[in-house]
Amino acid sequence: MAEIQLRNVNKRWGNFVGVDNFNLTIPDKEFLVLLGPSGCGKTTTMRMIAGLEDITDGEIAIDGKVVNSLDPKDRDVAMVFQSYALYPNMNVYENIRFPLKVRGIDPSTHDAKVRRASAMVELDDFLHRKPAELSGGQRQRVALARAIVREPNVFLMDEPLSNLDAKLRVSTRAQIKNLSHELAVTTIYVTHDQIEAMTLADRVVVMEKGIVQQVGSPTEIYDRPANMFVASFIGNPAMNLINGDIQNGTFEARDTRIPGLSAASGKTTLGFRAEDASLAAAGEGQITAPIYTLELLGDATMISVRIGQALVAVKADKTFRAEIGDPISIRVPPEICHLFSTDTGQRIDG
Amino acid sequence: MASQVQKRPVLLQTVLVGILILWMIAAAFPFFWTLWGSFKVEGDFFSLADWTNVLTGEMTTRETGDAFTTEGYTGAWVQEEFWKAAWNSTLVCLFVVTISLTLGTLGGYALARSTYRYAFWFLLIALIFRAMPPITLVSGYLPVFFQWNIWGHLPTAIIVLVAINQPFTLWMLHSFFKNIPQDLDESAMVDGCTRFQAFRHVIIPVMWPGVITTGLFSFLLAYNDFAVTAMILDKQNQTMVPKIASFLGTTQTKGNVMFAVAAVVSTTAPLFLLIMFFQRQIVSGLTAGAVKG
Repeated sequence: MAEIQLRNVNKRWGNFVGVDNFNLTIPDKEFLVLLGPSGCGKTTTMRMIAGLEDITDGEIAIDGKVVNSLDPKDRDVAMVFQSYALYPNMNVYENIRFPLKVRGIDPSTHDAKVRRASAMVELDDFLHRKPAELSGGQRQRVALARAIVREPNVFLMDEPLSNLDAKLRVSTRAQIKNLSHELAVTTIYVTHDQIEAMTLADRVVVMEKGIVQQVGSPTEIYDRPANMFVASFIGNPAMNLINGDIQNGTFEARDTRIPGLSAASGKTTLGFRAEDASLAAAGEGQITAPIYTLELLGDATMISVRIGQALVAVKADKTFRAEIGDPISIRVPPEICHLFSTDTGQRIDG
Repeated sequence: MASQVQKRPVLLQTVLVGILILWMIAAAFPFFWTLWGSFKVEGDFFSLADWTNVLTGEMTTRETGDAFTTEGYTGAWVQEEFWKAAWNSTLVCLFVVTISLTLGTLGGYALARSTYRYAFWFLLIALIFRAMPPITLVSGYLPVFFQWNIWGHLPTAIIVLVAINQPFTLWMLHSFFKNIPQDLDESAMVDGCTRFQAFRHVIIPVMWPGVITTGLFSFLLAYNDFAVTAMILDKQNQTMVPKIASFLGTTQTKGNVMFAVAAVVSTTAPLFLLIMFFQRQIVSGLTAGAVKG
């Protein structure tokens, strides 16, 4: 039961701005993902919520109560660290039990709680091992169990999957999703991996250079990126962005001519997603250029052409074959286009 | 590694082992020589006539009726009350180690976790103090101690030894704490600890090898110190090392060299035991698994 509010939260170190004027209300039981490249302030924001970092300016409230001056232990949050931060001198059981012990929770309930938490992350067989005797994935699960054992108000997870190998990451991601559904506790999850953000989040906050770029559901962020940074950060491959000009509703750039756009004339950056575009018969598409590279992905073929500085990708059928340098025509109907101001980077279409 | 060792030619292997054995003999010989000699009389151990007397024990047999004698030990421990010096040394070491480690762990931890730049300068200044020979400080404190009438007492020596020792313990513990990831304290604090509880329940258990190693060095400094203890302690309060020196005599008084030899053996023996006992603790890798992800 916890709603978290951040009001004009700032973090500065001298002249360096870590987090700039962060405003957000996170409703109870929401799974919120803070997403952004490294150094964007996402971890700092989480650490301020945890109480591990002082707030330079602004207010953080949990359940309506301002927690700025509270110690981490008094905020009723639990955190999973990127390094897991298991206590090396204690075995798995004692690690999971530690939060109960230091908080003076009735010792007779400890065993049941520890066993319940360890069962949830499938660790029952490892309770007597030391962290050093566990694999990376098992350690990660111990850290999860230690966080859930106390049933806190808020979960904080700091890139919990980034130290796992690719395969384990997928299965642990599913486990976290299932766990959060089961526990229904407000969760803040920090990651630089947009796929984790898309798959786990109720809402995503995209950050860069300490500034919130966009807040929205994964679909909103994917379908209507608020600016060029979000457009280029979300999606695999990222959104194609072409710099050009709009005159009377027609976008023009090198090898490119897309009519039928409803936007003011002037310098504009046009974006579209590789999977929204398709190949067209010669001369019928809006972009015509020689193939720069061609990648076989298995389920599809990714074709790229070069428009000025930008690489523009389009997804074609998996059976499509051509040579590098072959001319190709790409269909880019106006419906799939996103328009951004070249100067400010902000979205300009409706 | 194992296969490499096997590949070495036999001759080289023999030479290597031979050198090692020679080195061990050279290193251990003085100790065994002293141990052996401590059960003889002065006439044998420091014989002018024939050095082999110390092996045969000619004078010892003549004087005591046996090839070995414990005269040196009874003389030192009972007659000259070396046990008092041993007790004083025990007290000094105990307090120096306890105080140094208490201040050192707290201070080292604070400095290791400090984000301020003065932590660096503090450590640098500490290093300079550590680099000074302890004797240079004497002129500074000796007159004051006389004036305050605290010269000659054990607590005074303990304070001075702690002061000399502290920069080193701070440095050493600071670097041990630096190696413990900060995530551990933070995790403990989120789990419900205060800063001190995190230090006490999470960091210190991981730190044991560092604490023991540093404690051992502090102990050795206090145990082996001559400059400070000889200067500060009066005759009743002498610790072992200055007491041994006093056995050797001065220009005015005749000493008893054999008492000194027996006392040296008595002083060295506990060190061997101590280091052998703590060797495992120092080596044990408690931090494994904490640092790696």
